Amino acid sequence: MTTKSRRFKLVDIGLLAGMLLPLVAVMVLKILTAPATEGITITGALVYFTIPLPVQDLPITEAQVNTWAVMLTILFLCLYLTHGIAARPVTRRQLAAEWIVEKCQNMVHNNMGDYFAGFGPFIAAIFALSGLSSLSSLLGLFPPTSDMNVVAGWAILVFILITYYKFKAGPLQYLKSYGEPVPFLAPMNIISEVATPVSMAFRHYGNILSGTIISVLIAAALGGLSELVLGWLPGVLGDFPFLRIGLPAVLSLYFDIFSGCLQAFIFATLTMMYVSGGFPQSEYEARKARQRAKREARAAKHQSQ
Amino acid sequence: MQTLEIISVNFWQILISLLNLLLIFFILKKFLWKPVKKVMAQRQAAVDEQYAAADEARAKAEADRAAYEEALAGAKAEAKGIVEDATVAAKRRGDQIVAEAEEKADRLVRQAQSEAELEKQKAENEVKQEIVDVSALLAGKLLEREISADDHRTLIDAFINNIDDNG
Repeated sequence: MTTKSRRFKLVDIGLLAGMLLPLVAVMVLKILTAPATEGITITGALVYFTIPLPVQDLPITEAQVNTWAVMLTILFLCLYLTHGIAARPVTRRQLAAEWIVEKCQNMVHNNMGDYFAGFGPFIAAIFALSGLSSLSSLLGLFPPTSDMNVVAGWAILVFILITYYKFKAGPLQYLKSYGEPVPFLAPMNIISEVATPVSMAFRHYGNILSGTIISVLIAAALGGLSELVLGWLPGVLGDFPFLRIGLPAVLSLYFDIFSGCLQAFIFATLTMMYVSGGFPQSEYEARKARQRAKREARAAKHQSQ
Repeated sequence: MQTLEIISVNFWQILISLLNLLLIFFILKKFLWKPVKKVMAQRQAAVDEQYAAADEARAKAEADRAAYEEALAGAKAEAKGIVEDATVAAKRRGDQIVAEAEEKADRLVRQAQSEAELEKQKAENEVKQEIVDVSALLAGKLLEREISADDHRTLIDAFINNIDDNG
């Protein structure tokens, strides 16, 4: 490995700073703006300010700001991973970048088939955004995924994709599918169709939020228990919630790390399944072939006249 | 500071979040997928090139070996031909030499024979001459007169020839 130039190192430092600074900035913002709480408080995201807009005012909340911070981190992470990339790998980070790309492509290939190879970055985007948003709670931030609006936006995007591909596979079949098995059941079909994004959004957001709530409840309960059992100790010792040491960390391991990664994985997997499931490729190709045959027949007829 | 309700729905926030995901999609596509794919394609191309070069080198080596073997076989055949030619030529030359030698020996023998014959003839003639002389001397002594050798030549010759025939 050749020694890197000074310029290369400087750019590296800049990129690393770009990765870390947004997170540090939102942490500082959180510390500065978090209201002092007494006891148990379970609330939604903090509202920094509100932008008046038609239909509904837009409150800029912690969830939004944290999402943007995570997005900046992802952007700089990408730039960092691909910095100094070469056909003959000279940096270890290039191996990481290639590993990520290859794994995502493999997963998309296995779950969706060749036709959807372009979905690799989209699935990776869901993984990165959902996973890192959930994991941002490890830094003491408000995880954006525990705000329903954030996850609902993703679910609606996925719903749009599902519908687009269903429509693409055959507009008539798509419309007809609502009247099956009997036209009378159309409302049920519509509800089940709409239930897809709703369930996706609620599952993800509910899991993360419930993790937070349970963590808060248990921490509060342990604090109370500590005061009850060890309150007789003199001075500071009596006030210190000793029982809060240990159990919340284990719970955090589960709720913050495991659950966060798992929900990202579930969301990505469901996206892949729904999108590729809504698009029967063989039917699409058969329809295309029929259309082409018809067009060619017409052209042939034109020529013969 | 205000906080949102735990469950709150805001149209604009949903839209922003949707666009956020799209944006991250494009970021990953442009800044991670594109460079990595490009580099992988480059590497693939390099590997293909290497393979092609290796194949070419192998084909060349095979061709070289075939040519070398062919040349070797040619050289061997040529050497064999040369040896055969040389053998044949040597044999012919040997035969020739032997024939010449035989001829020469023959000639020598013949020459020697003719020389011997000549010598013999000469000796015979000498002996004849001796005999003639001796006879003449003897006859002269006997007859007390000189007999010319020439006069009695025929007589003596007949005599000697008699001796010859008898002897």
